[in-house]
Amino acid sequence: MHISTRQSGDATIVDVVGDIDLYNSPEVRKILLESLKEKRAPRVIMNLKGVKYIDSSGVASLVEGLKVSRTLNSRFILFGLSTAAREVLELSRLIKVFEVYANEEEALAAGV
Amino acid sequence: MDYSLKLELSSHPQLMGVVRSAVERFVSDVGFDQADARAIVLALDEALTNVIRHAYDNRYDRPIAVTLRRLEPANAVNGASGIEFIVEDHGMSADPAKLRGRPLEEVRPGGLGVHLICEIMDSFRYEPSATGNKMILRKLRGQKPSTGG
Repeated sequence: MHISTRQSGDATIVDVVGDIDLYNSPEVRKILLESLKEKRAPRVIMNLKGVKYIDSSGVASLVEGLKVSRTLNSRFILFGLSTAAREVLELSRLIKVFEVYANEEEALAAGV
Repeated sequence: MDYSLKLELSSHPQLMGVVRSAVERFVSDVGFDQADARAIVLALDEALTNVIRHAYDNRYDRPIAVTLRRLEPANAVNGASGIEFIVEDHGMSADPAKLRGRPLEEVRPGGLGVHLICEIMDSFRYEPSATGNKMILRKLRGQKPSTGG
């Protein structure tokens, strides 16, 4: 898995490529919490286009990001969900809890 | 006839990707469609994650055995073929309460693994033994859909 961040206006975009599972979900969690808590990004947008697989530990990292963002009054947004990632969030009954957009343009335009 | 594949691995999370690839191929060969195969792979991955995190307390050098078995219609319920996974470890016994999953109304990280296994598979059985734990996961073709909404 490869994870990196970039800025677009006030938004921090987190690009993830690869599987998010027990092995690498701690790194996803670390980057998310760093962006939200330390850098105080008002919007953290996760690009999941390159994520073909995510397990419950990956979902837990996303949930933690969401909860922290709510505490800090920032936004936590997802876009580019693969079929597999969407299925896992549906099975976890979490798909409606997240703010989800089809692509980066829509995610960036949301709530500006 | 039934056939099976036994994988013996150490409890290192980096191996999960390798196991997922093998299991996806096995499950597809049995005849499950892509959506079912993705879900079944996730269920087994969650069972292995539980072993690493709970039975072995995140120790990455312990043994896990996974047997993948194709069930012929004659040996499966309702004449449907299917698959059975047997996951065996030598770790600490699981708390049966934690193997029932948790209510999903509360949005919080963690505790989703068992819920996903039960949601995806037709049956999930846990058997403690003198030497460790055994989990038996079973899914037949044409039974409940793996993915809901």
